[in-house]
Amino acid sequence: MPLAETTNFGTIFFSPESVFEFPHGLPGFEDRRRFLPVQNPRTAPILFLQSLEEPSLCFTTLPILVVDPQYQLRIVEQDLEALEFPVDLQPRIGEDVLCLAVLSLRKTGTTANLLAPVVVNLKNYKAVQAVSQESGYSHQHFLFPQEEPVC
Amino acid sequence: MMSRRQGETILIGDDIEIVIAHIGRSRVKVGIRAPRRVQVVAQEVKLVGDENRAAAQAPSAEVLQLILAQLRPGPHTLRPRPDEESVRQDAGTKN
Repeated sequence: MPLAETTNFGTIFFSPESVFEFPHGLPGFEDRRRFLPVQNPRTAPILFLQSLEEPSLCFTTLPILVVDPQYQLRIVEQDLEALEFPVDLQPRIGEDVLCLAVLSLRKTGTTANLLAPVVVNLKNYKAVQAVSQESGYSHQHFLFPQEEPVC
Repeated sequence: MMSRRQGETILIGDDIEIVIAHIGRSRVKVGIRAPRRVQVVAQEVKLVGDENRAAAQAPSAEVLQLILAQLRPGPHTLRPRPDEESVRQDAGTKN
């Protein structure tokens, strides 16, 4: 079983078939292609995406429906192709794809990126960060609105 | 500002060319020819890249627990609604 060195979790064993493969990387990290989903029962439903190419690179995510139960996923043609889906059908969250919101921890509060969810094809584990067009979703959606500065 | 029709082109400097390829009802298709050293991305992609760089490190255990605590409010944070109490009383009198 392969091993990965990670800054956050130490050395971890993983099975190669559980790796998410981003054919185009992620915006800002175009050359990072392989990420391992890591979940700790004590911090579920948080899911970490640990880079297998850069030990210190780790994203913290939540299933997007935990953040917004009404979330409407719309993926552009180019991303559907990268996920190896037919371009004329939108995949369904939970049935066809895993859909995750990347969290940012800022001084003003925790935000989730709803503009660009990480979408993983559950059949082949191909993944993209799908930047949506004209969705109206924010890349800095406050997780807990009461944390939003009142001014 | 510059006004262009479908199929017309704008030049920026010597080596950047922008073609208005198609004008639809609510969106415009734009073709861009630029040297490799010039990065061409939609503004959203730049925003997401910046956001990813800010998000690229796992938070400390304390911060995680804080997020989780807010996601799953404990029973002590849930106050029974006033009407719940009366419903329970009604059910009791029926039996």
